Amino acid sequence: MTIFLRIMLAVGMACGVLAPAGGIDAAAAKSLNIVFVSPGKTGEVYWDMVAQTMRAAGRKLDAHVEVLTSERNYRTMQELGFGVVARADKPDFLILSNEESAAVPILEAAEAAGVRTLLLSNTLIGEDAKRLGPPRQNLKSWLGDITTDLQTAGARMANALISAARAEKWQSPDGKIHILGIGGDEITPASIARNAGLQLAADAAPDVVVDRMLFANWTQSEAEQVTANYLRWAARKEIRPAGIWAGNDPMALGALRAITAAGLVPGRNIEVVGLNWSEDALREIKAGRLLLSDGGHFLLGGWSIVLLRDYADGCDFADVSPRVEVKTSAITRDNLGSVGDLIKTRAFDRIDFTRFRAKAGHCGQYDFSLDALVSSLPLPDGVGD
Amino acid sequence: MKREAMTDPDGNGQAAPPRLRSVVRAMIWATVPVLLLVQLLASAGVEATSFWSQIRQLDARIARTAESRAELIAEPLWKMRYDQVTGVLNEIMHDETIAAAAVYDDTGVAIARVVARASDQAVAEISRPIKYSNGNIAVQAGRIAIAYSYATVYADTGSRLMLLLIVGLLATLATVVAMRISANIFIGRPLAAIMSAIQRSKQDGRAYPAEIRSANEFGQLAQAFNAMQHTTSGALDRLGHMASHDPLTGLPNRRSLSERLVTLSDAGSPDSLIAFCFIDLDDFKGINDTFGHDAGDRFLVHISERLREAVEPQDWVARLGGDEFVVIRPEVSNEATAQAFARQLLDAISEPIRLHDKQVAPRASIGLAVRRAGDPELSHLPALADIALYHAKSKAPGTVAVLDEALQRDYRRRRDLELAIPAGFAEGQFEVWYQGQVDLESAAVVGLEALIRWRHPDHGVIGPGEFLPLIERSGNNARLTRYVLTDACRALQRLAAAGRPDIRIAINLPPSELADHSLAAELRATCARFDVAASMLELEITEGSLINNIASASETLHRLRRLGATIALDDFGTGYSSLAHLRRFPLDKVKIDKAFISEIPDSAEDKAIVGVIASLAGTLGLTLVAEGIERTEQAAAMREMGVTLGQGYLYHRPQPLAAVLQGLEGRTGEGRVRIDSPSVAPEFAA
Repeated sequence: MTIFLRIMLAVGMACGVLAPAGGIDAAAAKSLNIVFVSPGKTGEVYWDMVAQTMRAAGRKLDAHVEVLTSERNYRTMQELGFGVVARADKPDFLILSNEESAAVPILEAAEAAGVRTLLLSNTLIGEDAKRLGPPRQNLKSWLGDITTDLQTAGARMANALISAARAEKWQSPDGKIHILGIGGDEITPASIARNAGLQLAADAAPDVVVDRMLFANWTQSEAEQVTANYLRWAARKEIRPAGIWAGNDPMALGALRAITAAGLVPGRNIEVVGLNWSEDALREIKAGRLLLSDGGHFLLGGWSIVLLRDYADGCDFADVSPRVEVKTSAITRDNLGSVGDLIKTRAFDRIDFTRFRAKAGHCGQYDFSLDALVSSLPLPDGVGD
Repeated sequence: MKREAMTDPDGNGQAAPPRLRSVVRAMIWATVPVLLLVQLLASAGVEATSFWSQIRQLDARIARTAESRAELIAEPLWKMRYDQVTGVLNEIMHDETIAAAAVYDDTGVAIARVVARASDQAVAEISRPIKYSNGNIAVQAGRIAIAYSYATVYADTGSRLMLLLIVGLLATLATVVAMRISANIFIGRPLAAIMSAIQRSKQDGRAYPAEIRSANEFGQLAQAFNAMQHTTSGALDRLGHMASHDPLTGLPNRRSLSERLVTLSDAGSPDSLIAFCFIDLDDFKGINDTFGHDAGDRFLVHISERLREAVEPQDWVARLGGDEFVVIRPEVSNEATAQAFARQLLDAISEPIRLHDKQVAPRASIGLAVRRAGDPELSHLPALADIALYHAKSKAPGTVAVLDEALQRDYRRRRDLELAIPAGFAEGQFEVWYQGQVDLESAAVVGLEALIRWRHPDHGVIGPGEFLPLIERSGNNARLTRYVLTDACRALQRLAAAGRPDIRIAINLPPSELADHSLAAELRATCARFDVAASMLELEITEGSLINNIASASETLHRLRRLGATIALDDFGTGYSSLAHLRRFPLDKVKIDKAFISEIPDSAEDKAIVGVIASLAGTLGLTLVAEGIERTEQAAAMREMGVTLGQGYLYHRPQPLAAVLQGLEGRTGEGRVRIDSPSVAPEFAA
């Protein structure tokens, strides 16, 4: 309780200090009504965390965030979206995620109803992108999108693996560093981007061979299975596996299990990288078995509220681009301490989202990096006090 | 039943020589094995091709399966989703021909292996590479191998073969049944119908048509058969009529007679009297000779018409052949009315007929036999009537002779004698008697005529008039002639021994002997045997024997004459009395028939005739012999007319040689030796 009160106090102070300094007339700012139709399921970590950061940001930025959950049913998602658009008391903004391109009809309905929309995480692709064009062109009320740069994330993860392997001299008899890639799937843009990052990094390193790009449907068990298969295969091929690149943390954890089962010691004989900043992954990082976990893209929820607050206050992010791409960051043993707890406890209210708003005269310029995040956090208890 | 008739038409025990082989059965036997064989070969051929094509199809199918599986498996294999690989591999095991399948990765290790069952036979294996490619790479991810069995193909082929075999057998069976049925209908039945017609025709000799009404070949055959049957029927009718009728007169013939007699015995009351008239025309041969055979035929037709007209409807007229007719009256009241009926027939026949503008008075003899219809010997009626006819012909031509006990006795006697001829020869029952021939001036014996007698053990001495016809009929003329010749030669020998070598012996030659060229040689041989001169033999012939074969007779006579024998013409004046004969043939003597002698000297006519003959003979240089001289006046008359030689009871009776020799010794000049021989016609000698 005391902690909670203290946090509330600190936030209230921060608001009081920063609001006049924001450059934007706080009095002019009105309370925003934002609805987020989540494609995910209740309990689905990523989307829960997106919604949580959204709410946390809303609380900081005077925005009421209403989260509707589709429960992984795109029909439900469309119905929810159409329902929101048809409301008499229309929200100020509607945040959608274009998973499986299911958000397009909602997008069009919102355009007709004059509800402004923002696409989060998944934007228009393929035919839809061609047909509807960029934001604010055909669809005036489609303000833009905010996505993460997962290809860079993939590449960063690969490079970390390669560096570790080079350092440990884990070359196979053929002199190459052999690594295994485990992708979630081959269809979704989020997956394709990560995998492309791996390929990019491998292509850039002539001493690196991606033996296989295996797919494990994002799941730990399948990843464990394919990893085991790979390891046996590699043994028959007299390949020394140097690293395993996993498209997400559960798959990385599966790979770890397979490695252990094969008698190898992760972190000592072989390195594994994952993505998602999941609690389990962070624990493995802490244990020294997982090299790193890239991620932080669940913060898109909070960042989207930041963008909309600025937009509503007249500082349009489209001054730079209607498409905001947020870089992810890797959590390693080195930086684990600062954000691990945040993630573990999901205490996103500790993040001072007001600090991430665009500076006056620099609309559209944001720093959503891990460093910025870390520095936005209040000092640990001891330090805070 | 039809089928039985067809397959075994003679099955019902009719005399069917060889076992009949049914044509239908033969057809079936000939067809079915071929059919079966062809069917089996065809099925086997089809099945073999099908088998190989199935094998190829199976190979191709498995190859396709392997390839399609390889495609499906490539990605999971490359992506090391080995459970999926196994899953995909497992799916192909639904194909029951696949015994096992395995997937190997690029290191050659089996990633997945499924075995359906322990393969026991004919396993083929196929292997295909598994190629994986995506936008960036194309690699061989591994290999799929499928082991599969041809067992199902074998089983399929086996069961289909069995099916084809069964179907083939059924088809063959059906064909056989169909063939049998259709063959029965189309072949068997018509054949049976024709066979049945033939059988019936065979049974009662009539031509039955075959009952077939169809338009096919058998219909035509039946039509042709029926036409033939019709023709045959007509021919049979005609043949039957011809067989039982005389073509000239249209009267029933001898064949019909026996049938008629059977009919008579069967029909009517057994007590009714049947009159059987056996008619024989007298001297029909003369009519033929005089007027020619066409006229003779017409004559016969006339006679037959008269007989037809003369009888009642119930009477029956037949011509048995030649000049023989039969008239049967089935019911007469007694023998007298039968006789009256027969005479009535004779009267009808005797009406004059014009032949070649000449009136001819036909004459016939009738043998009449009357018997009851119930008489068990009715079938002998013709023979009985013939006996009567024989009597009539021989005793009283132109009359009716009724069969009675005496005639039958005569008949039996004749038959007995005929049968006794061989025994007669064998036992020497035939005796040669000799009758002297005298010089009418001196009454001295100048010659002997050999005359045959039969000393029968039962019937006593029988004259030649009775038994010579029997000898002739039994073909013993030559034997008897040789017998007489031998006896005559022996007699000559004895005459010579008795000091009378001057006496000649005359023997009678029957007509048939004149045709025998060996006679002269035998005569010479016999004479030589007994050492007598052939010139001491005199051969007597009749005019009739000359007429029958003039050339041959003339030849024989000349030969005999060359041997030295003299030739005498016997019985001159009774027959043709042809003067030409006297000149043409090498004759030495003419014997005047006793018929001309017996009335002399009372008959002036006979005297005139004998006178003419005598003067003629004198002119021709022929010696005349008068036969049958019984009285001295006759002898005197003959002498007056210039007849030099005589023969007769006035001088000598025929007697055995011993008696003759005795007489000659005693020079009695007359045969005083009384032999109790019947006074039979003495001159009809062999």
